[in-house]
Amino acid sequence: MTATDGLALATRGLHKRYGSRVALAGLDLSVPSGVVYGFLGPNGAGKTTTMRLLTGLIHPDSGSIELLGRPFGRRDRHRLFEVGSLIEAPSFYPYLSGRENLRALAATGAHTANGRVEELLELVGLRDRARDRVQGYSMGMKQRLGIAAALLSDPRLLLLDEPANGLDPAGIVAMRETLRHLASTGKTVFISSHVLGEVQQLADVVGIIAAGKLVREGQIDQLLEGEGVVRVRVTASEVESATRILSTVSGDGSVSPIAGDEGWLSVRIEPGRASDINRALAVAGIYASGLETGSDLESLFLALTAGSPSASHEGTFFGLAGSNEPPKGPAGWHDGGEAA
Amino acid sequence: MRLLWATLRKLVRRPATFITFGLLVGLMALIYLAVGATANQQPTGSSREAALLLLTFPGAYTLIISFILGLGGLFGVIYGAAIAGSEWTWGTLKGAVARGESRSRYQLWSFAGIGLMLGVGLLGAFAVGVILAIIGAGLAGASTAGLNDSQTLGQLPELLARGWFAILEEGALGFTIATIAGSQLAGVGVGIAVYFGEQFATIFLPDIVKYLPFHAASAVVAVSDGGGGGFTSGNGAALARLDPTAALLVVGAWLVGALIVTTLYTERTEISG
Repeated sequence: MTATDGLALATRGLHKRYGSRVALAGLDLSVPSGVVYGFLGPNGAGKTTTMRLLTGLIHPDSGSIELLGRPFGRRDRHRLFEVGSLIEAPSFYPYLSGRENLRALAATGAHTANGRVEELLELVGLRDRARDRVQGYSMGMKQRLGIAAALLSDPRLLLLDEPANGLDPAGIVAMRETLRHLASTGKTVFISSHVLGEVQQLADVVGIIAAGKLVREGQIDQLLEGEGVVRVRVTASEVESATRILSTVSGDGSVSPIAGDEGWLSVRIEPGRASDINRALAVAGIYASGLETGSDLESLFLALTAGSPSASHEGTFFGLAGSNEPPKGPAGWHDGGEAA
Repeated sequence: MRLLWATLRKLVRRPATFITFGLLVGLMALIYLAVGATANQQPTGSSREAALLLLTFPGAYTLIISFILGLGGLFGVIYGAAIAGSEWTWGTLKGAVARGESRSRYQLWSFAGIGLMLGVGLLGAFAVGVILAIIGAGLAGASTAGLNDSQTLGQLPELLARGWFAILEEGALGFTIATIAGSQLAGVGVGIAVYFGEQFATIFLPDIVKYLPFHAASAVVAVSDGGGGGFTSGNGAALARLDPTAALLVVGAWLVGALIVTTLYTERTEISG
């Protein structure tokens, strides 16, 4: 029995450096089998580097990777036969049709079952456009084709980098249902994303990475239970003094301004203590014009990644909030809303 | 094998395949038809004779192959570079590697596909060249009596095989350059620069240039009169050429070397973007 038994994916002490820039600084991921795992992090935190390492496109400077319970190194490319992936933007021959692209890809790597290409074109709603050249596809259609390509060899582990990119709301709902269904059949889905609302709806387990290191990992429910958040709104001129006062209530480093929302402060404290916050501010002569309680992934994410070197290097993370919530709509990839 | 078929299916649909072949055949048509139409208007007998040499069989067979090797060499480099470079530019190599495909195997089968397409292109261009030479001879009023020369016809398979080997080497150079450049545009650009760079090298390295890839490739198909794909130095003096057998060995060395560099580079490089 080892520490990585029962895991579909594990990394231990993964280091990767590009010249003088450290991309990963000892990443330890533990992805259980049969779950949807959300891999979150600000831009430049090391998400794409991790995805490239997991698919053998690049190699680590040190550390180890286990895929589906077996070591994955430079000479273990066969391990990827059971892994499907969509890394960064989907890559296709623009002059070939969607169907021809899938067939070309099916000739590489693991064996692809007969009829699988047609089955997947149907699944992602591209059957009617399968004969059209990919150069005429919209971004959303390319993304769907990319997801179909990732599913070609019916993989046990699916690695998807921003799978919702370019999809319209109905497409996002359909993708979510497809991925949930795959997880229910015992497959493991690993999603790298910064669309927090999407991950919160989809993932069972999340890992948050900042500056090349895992800063939190666990089941979403458990993480959020222990990471209550109260959001307070004060006038812009009172932000500094409010931060100081609230830090005395909830502890140093637990108060941070919410990027993009002027005057809003996020306080990591059990929601039941919201009244303490209100009282402390009132005693100091600061009257909150807004007070919200709750636990959400966004607040947790911001609290954990605020001030990380990678975040400050590439700019503040703005992939926020309710705007990421897809509108309710009919499930199915056949949304027809994509312009060619 | 499925990788080779997949590569061929990709290449037959690829616009670069038709554009490259079309350009070669188009330029050949322009030259042969122009020569045929103007041969009788040449001011001197010797210039008329030189023009008719291109259209008179059986010598025209060899000259067509030489022409294809000369200009086709450049096109071979561009074609090889375009195909290899696009795998990086479009990220399709990345997709194959992420599926567990062997990097070396993928590259070598891709090149095998290119090699087959170059072979088909060579045969096609040769057939079109023969037809154009016959038309040109008709325009010039020259005889086509040598068309059925059995000795020359007997040598054609070997000549074509040698020509294919030479173009294969030139395609491999483009393939390698674009692989290292990691880009279609850069690969094609550098490939063209290397081709013309070698032509300029005749001025500075007259003794060495015969071992360089394009000169060696042109020497693989012997042309007794030094016409067609022959090279001259800057002052017009004929350059020393390798004999066809030696040229074959040199071309083989360039071909194998290029493929080794390609596979080693692809195996070791980090794929990103």
